[in-house]
Amino acid sequence: MTGKFRSIRIATCMMGALIAAPVLAGPAAESISVSDPYVRIVPTGMTNTSAFMVLKNSDSKDHKLVKAESSASKVTELHTHTNEGGVMKMRPVKDIDIKAKGEAALKPGSLHVMMIGLKRELKEGDNVAITLTFEDGSSKKVEVPARKIQTEMKMEMKQEMVHDHKNMH
Amino acid sequence: MKKISIGIIAALALLLFWALVMRQPANENDQPGPAKTGGGDFTLQSANGPVALHSLKGKVVLLYFGYTFCPDICPTSLGFTSQALASLNKAELDKVQMLFVTVDPERDTLDKLKSYTAYFHPNIMGLSGTPEAIAKAAKLYGVGYAKHNTGSTGGYVVDHSAYTYVIAPDGSLFKTLDHGTPPAQIVDAIRAAMKKG
Repeated sequence: MTGKFRSIRIATCMMGALIAAPVLAGPAAESISVSDPYVRIVPTGMTNTSAFMVLKNSDSKDHKLVKAESSASKVTELHTHTNEGGVMKMRPVKDIDIKAKGEAALKPGSLHVMMIGLKRELKEGDNVAITLTFEDGSSKKVEVPARKIQTEMKMEMKQEMVHDHKNMH
Repeated sequence: MKKISIGIIAALALLLFWALVMRQPANENDQPGPAKTGGGDFTLQSANGPVALHSLKGKVVLLYFGYTFCPDICPTSLGFTSQALASLNKAELDKVQMLFVTVDPERDTLDKLKSYTAYFHPNIMGLSGTPEAIAKAAKLYGVGYAKHNTGSTGGYVVDHSAYTYVIAPDGSLFKTLDHGTPPAQIVDAIRAAMKKG
């Protein structure tokens, strides 16, 4: 008798857990971590720029970045680039997928946060606050440092050298 | 019967003649890819007056088509190229000139182009012109570009080919570099073009 009821109890607990799981999962913003964010400093007089970062999803559920906002620019949008036979096309996107246990890389030539109509010129050392909103309405604020293109290039070259050394054997 | 035989022999002889002499070997340069058009001379406007490509003979010229409102691709290309230029020694730098031709003459004034290119490197010069003059230069290098209204608040974008064309000191198109070519490879291409003279 104990045996029969035990398996029913276990089954009920498991069902309960499965039903409760989505509620217990927590807001999307808590599962998304942001690494190496930076906003590009552009030549004086240019008022549009891009912010880049890597979004990592630790959740077992897919999430989407649906909005980015910043008081540093008049408008903030999500954009991407496609390369069609050598012609680079930049287009706004509705959202950015961040797969479960995966990541979305916002980087030059690809997905990025477009900042349109910068309200002030950015200098190295400045920080820009960007609020990221996800599909469930949860959001998270990120402090994004301004980086000069030359600094960006030097960091890329260092990364390449590391990779080259790895491949040298 | 004899006449027919002579006729056949003559026909065969002609065929042999054609096969040996008239057939052209396959063109080795028939590769698909960018700049099949082979480049050429053009004259456009800079903030300091007209600039003709042929006036830069003796130098390696890096030619790029873009626009200043381009928020990502152009700064990346100019960033990488300026990094490459910074790696050259003074003697080499004296023999290199980069030209940034705008595909957005409506918004890119000559003064704006001058300060934009100066931000990246003094050896980069911004050029503009009438839409027809720009189109003519672009066609020589197989450059595609098109205005596009994406509905973004940032205004229209101009889709454009993002190659960098390396022109040898004799004015001929030497090499075409893909977007995102790392600075070290750009340096190699510049030095190889210099040797070509």
